[in-house]
Amino acid sequence: MSAQAPAPPSPSAGGPPPSDAVPLFYRRGFRRLLQQGIYVAITALVAWYVYDSLDLREFGFGFLDDPAAFKVGNQWLTDIDGVTNNRITMYLVGVWASLRVVFVAILLSTLVGVLVGVSRLSSNWLVARLAMLYVEIFRNTPLLVQVVLVYAIFLVGAPIIQEVVNIGDFAFISNRGLAIPWPVPNDGLWGLPDWFVGVWVALLIAIGAVAMTVRRTRQNRERETGQPQFANRWAFGIFAVGALVTFIILGLPVSIDRPYIEGTRYLEGMVIRPEFAALTIGLTLYTGAFNAEIVRGSIQALPTGQTEAANAIGLSGYQRLTLVILPQALRQMIPSITNQYLNVNKNSSLAYAVLYDDLFRVAGIIQNKAGHALEMFFVIIVTYMLISLVISAVMNLINSRVTRVGV
Amino acid sequence: MRLPSLKGRRLVSALLFAGAALVAGAVIGACTSDEDDQQAQATEQQQQQMEQQDQPAEQQQQEQQRAAPRAQDSGEPRGNTIQLVQDRGTLKCGVKQTQPLFGFRDDQGNVTGFDIEFCKAIAAAVLKDADAVEYVDASDASTRFELLADGQIDILIRTTTITSSRDMELDVDFAQTTFYTGQGFAVRKDSGINSTSDMANAAICVQTGTTTEQNVADHFTDIGLDYEPTGGLSQDVAAAFFEGRCDVLTADASDLASRIVVRDDADDYKILPQIISKEPLAPGVRDYDSDWKDVVNWVVHGLIRAEEIGITQANVAAMASNPPNTEVARLLGVPFGDGEVAALGFDVVDAQFIQRAIAAVGNYGEIYDREIGNAIPRDCTLNALARPLPSEAVDCGPGEGGIMYALPYR
Repeated sequence: MSAQAPAPPSPSAGGPPPSDAVPLFYRRGFRRLLQQGIYVAITALVAWYVYDSLDLREFGFGFLDDPAAFKVGNQWLTDIDGVTNNRITMYLVGVWASLRVVFVAILLSTLVGVLVGVSRLSSNWLVARLAMLYVEIFRNTPLLVQVVLVYAIFLVGAPIIQEVVNIGDFAFISNRGLAIPWPVPNDGLWGLPDWFVGVWVALLIAIGAVAMTVRRTRQNRERETGQPQFANRWAFGIFAVGALVTFIILGLPVSIDRPYIEGTRYLEGMVIRPEFAALTIGLTLYTGAFNAEIVRGSIQALPTGQTEAANAIGLSGYQRLTLVILPQALRQMIPSITNQYLNVNKNSSLAYAVLYDDLFRVAGIIQNKAGHALEMFFVIIVTYMLISLVISAVMNLINSRVTRVGV
Repeated sequence: MRLPSLKGRRLVSALLFAGAALVAGAVIGACTSDEDDQQAQATEQQQQQMEQQDQPAEQQQQEQQRAAPRAQDSGEPRGNTIQLVQDRGTLKCGVKQTQPLFGFRDDQGNVTGFDIEFCKAIAAAVLKDADAVEYVDASDASTRFELLADGQIDILIRTTTITSSRDMELDVDFAQTTFYTGQGFAVRKDSGINSTSDMANAAICVQTGTTTEQNVADHFTDIGLDYEPTGGLSQDVAAAFFEGRCDVLTADASDLASRIVVRDDADDYKILPQIISKEPLAPGVRDYDSDWKDVVNWVVHGLIRAEEIGITQANVAAMASNPPNTEVARLLGVPFGDGEVAALGFDVVDAQFIQRAIAAVGNYGEIYDREIGNAIPRDCTLNALARPLPSEAVDCGPGEGGIMYALPYR
């Protein structure tokens, strides 16, 4: 090796290498300091920039407290007047509308999924092929198209209100919706106020709890003794008798309202409007197709020995399905089906296509009037996230319960 | 291995450091200039918010609208559109092409409508050829003012409402209003509804827009009635109305007329005379170009004046060759008598520009009757003449009557 370049004379001889032997920029300490300094500086700049631009935009949620000055249609159980109420109240009306759609669509799509999924594995050629046709059609076309199509069918296919289809003065069908009878709170026979319906509902829950306890006790006894204990019949009987007795004691707190038509308007009863129906049916058909595939996959993932064993001990086809196959398959499908439920929640924003007043549309109206798009989208995102998290939490609870049982 | 000399390494490190400093400086600089933009944007957003309060029902995407670039930003020569148009030999007219009656392109590609007639009148006035018009598609509400500010069109005649915020914030000046409209209501004729006071608990389809929902909610609060807003397809809520989903459709009255007139069963529907908002539609020109605005203004006034004094497309030639009085002579740009009263000449346009406009498209009343008279009745609305000819005067109810009034031409 050739000689090093002559180092400048160091003041402290013999110790660590002189401080200027390594240039400042190559020193490890300086490098770390510089890197961290740049990182901190950029972070601070970005933070300051975000804060400052938000400040300039007058970021804040005060506008949500101003009067809404618009109306929201298609309310159920509520009749909140948008003209006098503030914007956040109307937004919550929209959230309630979204929740209704999501709840109904989740229930129906699960039902469709199980039915079609099992049908796809049917030995009946026609049933299996029809199920496959359904899945392939609805899984492979856009949900938006399905929702708009269903809505158009209602709009054009159903008669106008002047030519309403009257089903025995009991229900009405027109393109303004399906009107059906609906229970409403009622002043009791003994002059009890109508909020006593709440007492009745509370009593029903209590009676239901009692019935479930009886059912469990009898099921356990059946398992121990082998003697049939008719647990389900007992539970149902207790509940039915309890409900009837309390209903009479409280003086019939609920009556059934039959709808009727005045002019061009449905009064009383319950009206399922075409926008709600189109959105719910669209979501149900679309998600149902995916659910069916999940159900089919979970069943096919079971070892064939399960089916063979069930056949060997002489179970009927129905018993094989309900006692052996589905209980095991359901456990496997819960995580996948949770994803579908979350999709139902997110896809419910397609309400915009048929002007169903869900949370996204109401938020859109508020934005049109008040601006503050940033804040409004923040609220929208948080709302969808909260609903999704609740769905996940419930599904995780169910998952942990079913996986705990047996096997 | 021999390390580079310390001197060399120092140099490298110094260069690296300088580079890093430059980059940091650039980042900070960029942030600062972004900051200014941000400020401008924020102000703009506030202006838009203000604007939204005044926006007409027919434009849904206004909130996305950006203020047009200011005059000095455009590469096109500014401030002398009339010279530009004459040099080019055609008038670039920004029109809507999707609204029957006002501006509509048919299957054959012909553009027709009320607004189109004013394009022709201006082309006839300025270029002496009513067909020297290039119709530029300005159907998209959110970009129409930018077309104008960028110089892609010379004039915007596209059912555009004059509002204070547009006039003051955007690079647009408005000429004389050509059509007065407002948010109105359409119903089936057999519904028995004659005004909003008959609409208690009616189902109302609201054409979504920035102020339509609020206008109708405010109105029903004022008259103390309840109503039920209903759904529909978001891209076309009118379809739901025509299928009977609701009793009433509300939108700009001119918009309602356009929707109804194209239907086979148009006779089954009517538009109520009641109007609950102000939407004066006017031609728009660029700011800082008063010669051009003057010409547009006076063509419109001239067409209205022609109706007031009975000059029509049919008799304009006869009137010009033998004017009955000094005013007709002046309006048509011809001398009166034996040259005792000379024609008015202008720096920016010759004396006979209004005569050519009338010869091309007729007077205001003729344009109205020809293009929209069948769908939108005119008598006793704001669009009627404030001073009709005695022979054509109609008795109107209290509070009714036209406000079309031409300024004096002399």
